[in-house]
Amino acid sequence: MLRFFGTRLAQLALVVLAVTLLFYWMLNLLPGNPCVAAFGGAATEEQIAECEQDRNLDEPVIVQWAKWGGDVLTGDFGKSYLTGRSFGEALNTALPRTLLLLAYSQVLALGAAIPLGLWTGYRQNTVIDKIASGGAFALLSVPVFVLGLVLILVFAVRLDWFDLSGYQPISEGLGAHFRVMFLPSITLAAGLLPVYLRLLRTDVIGTLQEDFVGTARAKGLPVRHVLIRHVLRPSSFTLLTIFGIQAAQAVNGAIVVEFLFDLDGVGSLLVSWVAAREFLLVQTLVALIAAVFVTVTTMVDLLYSVLDPRIRRK
Amino acid sequence: MTDVATTAVTGSQPEIAPRQRRHNVALWLSLGWLVLVIASAVLAPWLGFIDDPHKPLSGPPEEGPSWSNWFGTDQLGRDMFARSVWGGRLSLSIAGPAVGIGIVVGGVLGVVAGYFGRWIDLGVSSVVNVALALPALVFALFIVTMLGQSYINVTIAVTILTIPAIARIARAQALRFAAREFVTVADMMGARWPRLLFREVMPNVVPALASIAFLAMGIVIIAEGSLSFIGVSVGSPSITWGNILSSGKGRLEDAPHIALITGGVMFVTLMALNFVGDEMLRRLDVREARI
Repeated sequence: MLRFFGTRLAQLALVVLAVTLLFYWMLNLLPGNPCVAAFGGAATEEQIAECEQDRNLDEPVIVQWAKWGGDVLTGDFGKSYLTGRSFGEALNTALPRTLLLLAYSQVLALGAAIPLGLWTGYRQNTVIDKIASGGAFALLSVPVFVLGLVLILVFAVRLDWFDLSGYQPISEGLGAHFRVMFLPSITLAAGLLPVYLRLLRTDVIGTLQEDFVGTARAKGLPVRHVLIRHVLRPSSFTLLTIFGIQAAQAVNGAIVVEFLFDLDGVGSLLVSWVAAREFLLVQTLVALIAAVFVTVTTMVDLLYSVLDPRIRRK
Repeated sequence: MTDVATTAVTGSQPEIAPRQRRHNVALWLSLGWLVLVIASAVLAPWLGFIDDPHKPLSGPPEEGPSWSNWFGTDQLGRDMFARSVWGGRLSLSIAGPAVGIGIVVGGVLGVVAGYFGRWIDLGVSSVVNVALALPALVFALFIVTMLGQSYINVTIAVTILTIPAIARIARAQALRFAAREFVTVADMMGARWPRLLFREVMPNVVPALASIAFLAMGIVIIAEGSLSFIGVSVGSPSITWGNILSSGKGRLEDAPHIALITGGVMFVTLMALNFVGDEMLRRLDVREARI
């Protein structure tokens, strides 16, 4: 068991190193001096020299990367040479918003997908099943930004139920917070829901054929009990796997949703740095996001093997 | 990019006649729509009834649909029908080559990994798995920023996104067929690996890849749309579905038709692509395309 974890963690470390090195190296493919670009073309000699010193530009790429990695590990993420604002400061405001958005949308998506998936798998080809399957299919074909625009038009512009005036923290009151966060969360959840729903439904149909389900029913257990305790349980592995895979998908959606709803989260940060050509910050952020993702996927894998001992023996 | 695989979750229950008929009707409708969209996109410069998409004041600004401007007009009075067609032209001209290259490169990588196994498979699979775990849009954003916002660079960025997902499906298909009797028989009859790979395994993987192409097309259109929506695709004055929607975002109150009609065209196109792809997977009984 320990050895299994050890190998996986070593693999993880290797992949994180490789991915960050890849992104680091790609920046060096850019023509010109990244330090000249970092000041937007209006820098004094000393400023450029200071930046070059910071980034160790006179060293080979691999050394630059290693020193950058050391800085990041000790909490020094660099700063914008254009505005003087530090990376950590920007991330501090942006990260909680993005994490909340992701959490709300996952809760909404799973909260709707689990009961619907159980029921449509149990009662196939009924009206509810057909509506749910058709709806899931349609939702998979709506780009996040189209759905978001329609929701804004209906619920914020026409009905005026929700606020679009920018992020409100929880400390401003739950009402204000959710008036801002509800539409973005729904928009993001709508992209995740059909994936969970379709997978769970297929899974449930399979599990219902199993002998233990028949036994549970024959014992006289109520349908609800059998569905939740006996049928949902084996499907939790599938849900967990897809959850790990969908996490990356959710961040794609979050970038667009934050842009659409002016939430100023991590995605908006990325987009605005890209627009301002702050390559050094973009690079650090992308490398960090990549590292977080590889870690999350590995963790899901490990969790999977904790839940199901058969996997460890392979 | 995982959607390539997840849209393909379809149970295969015994078919009953009315359902099959409904599916056939929907399939023909989808194919008809796709032909319409592709034909108008390809022929846009030569079709007389499609206005110049850049010409201001084709009609009064921000007017809803009318006889002279079928989809209405935008802020500058430019014809929205023409802009939708030209937007589709750019989106499709990015998605077409991206999916084509993605299918060839991803298909070959996947089949080779699935057929040979061992360290080749280990190498390809680990790269594919890492690539699939990364948020694709972040990666595309990074590539386009680094290389610059041009047609070629956006196409490169979205092509790279399609390869891992396609490779994974091709690998699963190759694994499935490499174990079949006819391959074993050919092997025992003395066929060498190029023949086994290209004449026995590959032809069986192609149908699955053809259906995946439709699903991948939809995903690339969404990816390019997202990029241009946040302003990181091919720069202006190029028209894409994404940047029409982005400009319609600020006009929702006074001119909702700009965003709604373009969004609708995009939605129907994506639905048609997904339906055709799903239907083909179902009829070919491809199971491995699911997660």
